[in-house]
Amino acid sequence: MFEGAPVDPRGPRFAAWLTTAVLAVVLATGWWPLLAAQAVVFGIGAFVGLKQAPYSVLYRKLVAPRLGPTDEREDAAPLRFAQAVGFGFAVIGTAGFVLAIPALGLVATAFALVAALLNAAFGFCLGCESYLLLQRLAPSNR
Amino acid sequence: MSTGLWVLAAAVVVAIAAGLVLRARNGKVRVAKDSAALPAEVLAVLDGDVTLVMFTTQFCANCKYTRPVLRELAEHTDGIAYAEIDLTDQPELAKQVSVLSTPTTLAVGADGTELLRVGGVPERDELLQNLRPHLR
Repeated sequence: MFEGAPVDPRGPRFAAWLTTAVLAVVLATGWWPLLAAQAVVFGIGAFVGLKQAPYSVLYRKLVAPRLGPTDEREDAAPLRFAQAVGFGFAVIGTAGFVLAIPALGLVATAFALVAALLNAAFGFCLGCESYLLLQRLAPSNR
Repeated sequence: MSTGLWVLAAAVVVAIAAGLVLRARNGKVRVAKDSAALPAEVLAVLDGDVTLVMFTTQFCANCKYTRPVLRELAEHTDGIAYAEIDLTDQPELAKQVSVLSTPTTLAVGADGTELLRVGGVPERDELLQNLRPHLR
């Protein structure tokens, strides 16, 4: 479900910085439409493909040509799974703001921001790492 | 300052603290404290004095960096073998071996006891140094 062609690893890092900035604005302003837009961005990356994800397109058009080529490649599956986890938090956060449960909106957005900043600043993919934990917590656990 | 700004500040602090802790813990060798019996799925892959068993999933980002370190160590050190177990569809096994994140590598002795484990990408020399006492 989350497979795809390997990608330039600098793209996801760029996307993580952009995501961090967007989520920081959401937390600072409480402007939920921006979080909803971020959910769409996560959703495209997770369920359509990394190549079609808006931040990936920005990276390819604006950033990659200035950096030059690289032979390094990163598998798509972990990245897409992480996008799906981000999508979940962004949807829950948006619902929290829309349903006038601001604490839910803030906490869910903060979780997503922590994950994005960990990825951007430290290269640590919390979403990828959370697979076994989520599987253990899932009600359909076998 | 608004609640949102406080939450933002807290999230940034938490992310930086967590990142520093994770960076410090990545690849560190932890010697096993008890010798609980390992599941049959793990015992089935044992080969040699010590088998390095890397647990992975389809969504493991750092397994591709861990794999060559372990393979190289196994290829160039007598008595060390390397095996890989995919936990993607084996949540029960993940629970039995107490693995919550991947890559996690267990060094298992020929008698099936866990000698040590490493979370993240191991440091080759540190790992080998910890394995030497278990090699004949």
